Amino acid sequence: MHKRRNILLVCIVLMLVTVILMALCSGVGVVHFDIKSLTESPIFWRLRLPRIVLSVLVGAALSVCGAAYQSVFRNPLTDPYVLGISSGASLGAALAILLGLETYLWGIGGMALCTALLTILLIFKVASMGNRMHTTTLLLTGVCLTFLITAIVSLLMALHQDKMESIIFWTMGSFASSSWLDVLILLPVVLVGLGVVIYHSRDLNLLLTGSETAQSLGVEVEKVRRRLLFFTTLMVAFCVSACGVIGFVGLVVPHCVRLVCGTDNRKVVPYSIFIGSIFLLLCDTGARTLIPPNELPVGSITSLIGAPMFIYLLYKSKRKND
Amino acid sequence: MIDVSHINCTYGKRTILSDLSFHLPQGSFYAIMGANGCGKTTLLRCIAGLLRPYSGEIKLSGRAINEYPIRELAKTIAFVQQHPQNDLEFSAFETVLMGRNPYQRHLQNESQADWDIVEQCMKQTNTWHLRFSLPSQMSGGELQRVMIARALAQQTPILLLDEPTSNLDISHQFEIMELLCRINSEEKKTILIVVHDLNLALRYCPNTILLKDKAVHFMGDTEEALTPSKISDVFGVESKVDKKNITILGLKNAQ
Repeated sequence: MHKRRNILLVCIVLMLVTVILMALCSGVGVVHFDIKSLTESPIFWRLRLPRIVLSVLVGAALSVCGAAYQSVFRNPLTDPYVLGISSGASLGAALAILLGLETYLWGIGGMALCTALLTILLIFKVASMGNRMHTTTLLLTGVCLTFLITAIVSLLMALHQDKMESIIFWTMGSFASSSWLDVLILLPVVLVGLGVVIYHSRDLNLLLTGSETAQSLGVEVEKVRRRLLFFTTLMVAFCVSACGVIGFVGLVVPHCVRLVCGTDNRKVVPYSIFIGSIFLLLCDTGARTLIPPNELPVGSITSLIGAPMFIYLLYKSKRKND
Repeated sequence: MIDVSHINCTYGKRTILSDLSFHLPQGSFYAIMGANGCGKTTLLRCIAGLLRPYSGEIKLSGRAINEYPIRELAKTIAFVQQHPQNDLEFSAFETVLMGRNPYQRHLQNESQADWDIVEQCMKQTNTWHLRFSLPSQMSGGELQRVMIARALAQQTPILLLDEPTSNLDISHQFEIMELLCRINSEEKKTILIVVHDLNLALRYCPNTILLKDKAVHFMGDTEEALTPSKISDVFGVESKVDKKNITILGLKNAQ
């Protein structure tokens, strides 16, 4: 059993390496297979490599956040985007730009974190009224908050037309302006965040059985839940500050992983890291190479895949309940 | 073993338990009975540490319950809840394995010892053949037995069960009660169980706590608890008790 697991993990890592190599070699215009000319090109070092590293990091982080939210909220249909947490973070990023905080290294991320935490606090308060969180209440709260926040961001844009371009960037995810600085800021956050979720991956399983059962099986439910929500929101906020709102990654990836390895989060979480990286890197490579020389927003590609999947999952869960 | 002293419990403004006290010795087997809404489940939740009483104190083995770290408490007391969740995608084996959680550290995988304990608990509850099944593929009785197996895997000296026999047919009711009797006599576990079926209690539980008016109405031998007068006091029902054939026949409402 353990042997099979290891083989699967090795296969996934090899897949990630292959996708990274493929992404490294594909680019605007011609496809370079010549390592020498590739490594001598400044485009490769300054634009393509950081962009690839960033999309790998963001893919891993968003997928794991999705998996964690699904267990903490005991709802298979949640992810940072659907819950409105990504939008919440984008509001903070927009505010930070208007206040001129982008000159500080952690300015945008910090502000995004504040608004994202406020969002999740609000969702938690509304959705946990009554004993059990209902799927519809949770999702509706998330969707309404997204509407509200989008409206506020639009207002901000209308009032500050000079900064419109840079705000628009946050509402439609893109890796086009990735730099090593983004990687440098995001890397420690993602490493710490992923570490915390992996550390609590068995607790995630127990949380799925309900907070009372989890507590009587020895999980410090309140503490663990608060810690997980904080660190996942931290990751989402910094991902959004690096590349804007990219939807449905946290929904698509954990579900595909579960199809292969079951519900056990001790497998779902690590596999989601790799599959999430592969997924987002593929989407981004598609975004920058499908219609050269133009670029597609990567957020719309993930939504094109994710939104139909969301509807399918909703349909499936409704049918199960009826 | 379990010391409940002067606990008061409220939900919002409604008082559920008021000044309730009792003591259960180690290895005892008590049924809790009372009319609907008299606080049976609340009492169990208080003892399980899931609900903090407004005032009063509960001690397990001489130590107050809120002094236990959650993990220690999970090694002391196991709680089988009323409605087992049946929409999870964990197999019966994985479910029972969760009972080993209080003994494992983070990032640590289950040891062979854990696997052996799970196998033993599942065999004891006659669920080993279901180990690969998902809850949605099991019947109510099977799922209930899996939940009891998980509680056993916690290896606690105390076992609390909230109506484990509701929704079960009569043969499964007997099966579960016989299982509990066996666990009580073989492993000397202290068992506290909420039962609705008076006949079931009379047949299997040696002792009974009758709850009425937010407090203990009677505590002691089940045969002494389930007399027509006490049944009329607690449930407001006239009845006939046939001790030889262990049956209680409800006749009509006393009012």
